[in-house]
Amino acid sequence: MNIYNPTRREFLTTLACVGASSFLSPMTMMARAQGKQVLKVRQDRDLQILDPASMVGGTEIEIQFAVLPRLVEFDYSTGPVRPMPGATVQRIVQRDATHIDFTLKAGFKWTNGFGDLSAEDVKYTYERMKTSDWSGYYDQLERVDVKDKLNGTIVLKQPFAPFWLVTMAHGVGSLLSAKATEKAGGKFTTELPATCGPYTFQWTPKQKNMFRLNPDWAGPKPDFDEVQGLLVEQDKAAILAYEAGEVDCSEITSADHARYKKKMPPNSKIFVAGALQYFWLGMNTEHPKLKDIRVRKAIQHAVDVDSIIQGAYSGTVEKSFGPVCPGLIGKRNKTKYSYNPAKAKQLISEAGANGLELELKTLNQQERVLAAQIIQANLQAVGIKVKVLPLDGGPFWALGQEKKGDQWKESQLWLMRYGTNPDPYEAMQWFRREQVGVWNWERWSDDEFEELYTKALAEIDSTKRSSMYMRMQEIMEDTGAYVWICHEPETYIHNTRVMPKTAPGAEMIFQGFKRA
Amino acid sequence: MWFYALKRTGLALVIVSVAILLLFSLLHLIPGDPVSIALGPRATPEIIERYEEKMHLNDPLVIQFFIFLSNALTGDLGVDVFSERSVARIVGEQLPYTLVLAVVGLGWAVLLGIPLGCLSAVRPHSLLDRITGVISVGTIAVPSFLVSIWALLIFAIHLNWMPVIGAGEPDDLLDQIHHLILPAFAIGLGWVGYLARLVRASMLEVMGENYIRAARSFGLPQRMVIYRYALKVAILPTITLIGIGFGHLLAGAVYAEIIFARPGVGKLIYDMVMSRNFPVIQGAVLITTAMYVFITLIADLIVAWIDPRVRESLQ
Repeated sequence: MNIYNPTRREFLTTLACVGASSFLSPMTMMARAQGKQVLKVRQDRDLQILDPASMVGGTEIEIQFAVLPRLVEFDYSTGPVRPMPGATVQRIVQRDATHIDFTLKAGFKWTNGFGDLSAEDVKYTYERMKTSDWSGYYDQLERVDVKDKLNGTIVLKQPFAPFWLVTMAHGVGSLLSAKATEKAGGKFTTELPATCGPYTFQWTPKQKNMFRLNPDWAGPKPDFDEVQGLLVEQDKAAILAYEAGEVDCSEITSADHARYKKKMPPNSKIFVAGALQYFWLGMNTEHPKLKDIRVRKAIQHAVDVDSIIQGAYSGTVEKSFGPVCPGLIGKRNKTKYSYNPAKAKQLISEAGANGLELELKTLNQQERVLAAQIIQANLQAVGIKVKVLPLDGGPFWALGQEKKGDQWKESQLWLMRYGTNPDPYEAMQWFRREQVGVWNWERWSDDEFEELYTKALAEIDSTKRSSMYMRMQEIMEDTGAYVWICHEPETYIHNTRVMPKTAPGAEMIFQGFKRA
Repeated sequence: MWFYALKRTGLALVIVSVAILLLFSLLHLIPGDPVSIALGPRATPEIIERYEEKMHLNDPLVIQFFIFLSNALTGDLGVDVFSERSVARIVGEQLPYTLVLAVVGLGWAVLLGIPLGCLSAVRPHSLLDRITGVISVGTIAVPSFLVSIWALLIFAIHLNWMPVIGAGEPDDLLDQIHHLILPAFAIGLGWVGYLARLVRASMLEVMGENYIRAARSFGLPQRMVIYRYALKVAILPTITLIGIGFGHLLAGAVYAEIIFARPGVGKLIYDMVMSRNFPVIQGAVLITTAMYVFITLIADLIVAWIDPRVRESLQ
C-alpha cells in the first residue's frame, strides 16, 4: 500500500491550489449569477387578492399566468387569437356543443408537496368558481366529470362559445390545487397555497413581485431565469425608470406613445398588446333635450372622429365602428353615419332644437378631456353649445346608475370607455335591457337585440355569430345614442433585448417573453 | 415637569381623537361610492353589498367611528377588506421606509442647516451671510416635489449616477443607501434653508444678550462663547421646529415616495385614498397622527428639560 507522503514544497503547492480554488469559487458563482437572465418589468398596481374566485384582476392575472396552470392558453400564431391547449394539457377538444374533453399531461407537480396536477383539481376549481365573484364566466357550466387522474369532461348547460377564450384561457380559468386550497380553509388572499407554473412567486408588498424558475416545472423552460415585477404606479415615474434602464418593459399611456412615435429612446421598441377597449360618446335617450332621435343623429353627424383620433391620441388608436374590438369576430369596418356638419345642421333644424345647450361629462384624464374639447368645438360648429365637465372617478362612475341617486336623469352626454375580453359577447352584455340604469346609461332596449344576444351565446358557427354581433351593433347605432370613437390599445415600450408577450387583455405573460 | 408631561400627553390623545374624527368625516364627504371605486366599475351588486357590509358602510358614521376607535384602543386596527391582511401589518411594513427617509432627510438638513445658521449669525451681513441667505430662501421656496423631479432628471436620468425607482434590495444595505440619497436630498433641501434662517435669527438675538457680552468681557474664546453659551439657548426653537418637521415629513414624504416609487406610509395612504380602501387609510392615518403628536410631545419635553426658564414657568 502506497502512502502519499508529500514534501514541504508539494504541501505548500497543494495548499495554494486549494486556496486559489476556494477564492475563485465565489467568483465562478458570481459569473454564473451574472449570466442569469433577468427580466425587469413595471407593474402598475400591487396585488390584492390572488384567489381567482375573488381577485380584482390586472396584476393578479399576470401572477396567475406565471404560477398557475390553465387548460387553455392564447394562440396568436395564425392571426386572430385562438385557443390552444395549456402547457400542462395533452389534449382538449369540444366533443359536441356542450361537452369538452381534456387530458392532462403527467408529471406536473404542485409546490409544497400537494402532489400531481389532476382532473380532480380541474373539477374542484371550476365548480368552485360557479359560486365566486366571477361566477358570470361560469354561468353555463353544469359540472366537470372526472374519468381518471388525468382525464375529465367539462359539461355545459347549453352551448357557450366564449367558454374557451373568455373563461378557460383567462385568469378566472387558473387551476388550483384542491388539497392545498382546502387546507388553506377554502380561500386565500395574498399567499398562494400551492403553485404549478414555470415560475415560483415571492411578494414584497408595495415593492416588487419576484418570479424565479420553478425547479419542478416539467413544461417548457422560459427564456428568463428570473422576472422582477417592480411596482411603479405612476405612469411618469415608470417612463423615467424605463429611460434610466431600470425596467426592460413598461406599459405606457397614449400620450407617451405619441411622444415616442416622434422620438424613440435608443434600443427601444413599441409593442401594441391589443385594443380590447372601446371608447364612445354616449347620449341619454330619455333626457328631454335628447329625446328626439333627430337631435341624436345630428350629433352623430357633427362629431369628427378622425380629428379626435389625431388631436387627442396623435393617431395612436384605431378608429371604432362599434363595441366589438379589433381582432374579434363581429368587428365592423364602417358605420351608417359619417362626419357631415351640413346634415347635422339640417337635422337640428328639423327637430326645432336650434340654440341647444348640453353638458358633456368625462373622466378627468388628458386624452378624454382633449376629446371632449374637440367634440365641444364640433358641436359648436353646428349650433350646439356644449359645457365640458371633467370628473373624478367617484362621481363619474355613478352618473348613470339609478342605485346611486337621481343624477342619471340629468346626465346628457358622456365619454365612456369599457374594456372587454376576447369574445364579443362581453362587450354586448352591458347594453341589454336588464342593464338600463346600471351600465346601459343610454337607456334604450330592443327586442331583436335581446334575442340576438341569447342566440349568439349558443351559436358555435363563428360566421353566424359574427353576423349576429354585427347586426346588434347596427341596432345600437340606430338608436342614435352612440358616436363610436376609438379602440385604445394597451401599449408597452421595451428594450430591444426582450420581446414581450401579453394576453389579449394586455396582461403580461412572463414565460412568453423572449430574449431578442 | 411631571404634571406638564401628563398634561401634554392628555392633549396629545385629544388631538389624535379629533384627527380621526375629522378623517372619518372627510372620507365620507369624498364623492363616489367607495366600493365601486375600489372594485372597479364592473363589480356586481352582490359583491358591492358584501364589501359594504365588510367595511360597515351601511352603519351610521358615528357607529363606524366608535367601532374603529374602540378596536384601535385595544390595538386592533382592523383588516384590509380586500387582502384580509392586518392593517397594522400593512402599515408596519411601510413605516420603516418612511421613518428612515424622514430621519436621513431631516438629519442632513440639521447637519448642514445649523452650522450655516451659526456662521451667518457670527458674521452678519458678510458675503457668507448673504450667500447663505439667498440659498436658504431659495431652497425654502422650491417645493420638494420639484426638487425630487429635477434631482431625478439630473442625477438619475442624465448623469445615471443614482437609481430612479424603489428602495433597494432588502438584504443589500449599500443598495438601500444608494436608493435613499436622492429622495433624502429632495425632502431635506427645504429644511436646510428653514433651519439656517431660524438658527441665524435665534443666534443674533442671543448674541445681543448680557450674558454673552459678559462671557466675552471675561475673555472667553469666541468658539466657546458661540457653541457653549449662545447656541445652547438659540437651539431651543430649533428643537421644536425639528420635532414639527419630522412629524411633517412622515406624511410629507409622499411626493418623494410617489416620484421615486419608494414604499412608505405616505404613498400607502395616497394609494389607499385613490382606491377608497377605508380601513387601511384609517389605520395608517391613526399611526402617523399618533407618531406626529408623540414626536412633537417629545420635542416639547426636551425643550422643557433643557431650558430652566420653561421648567420654571411650568411650576
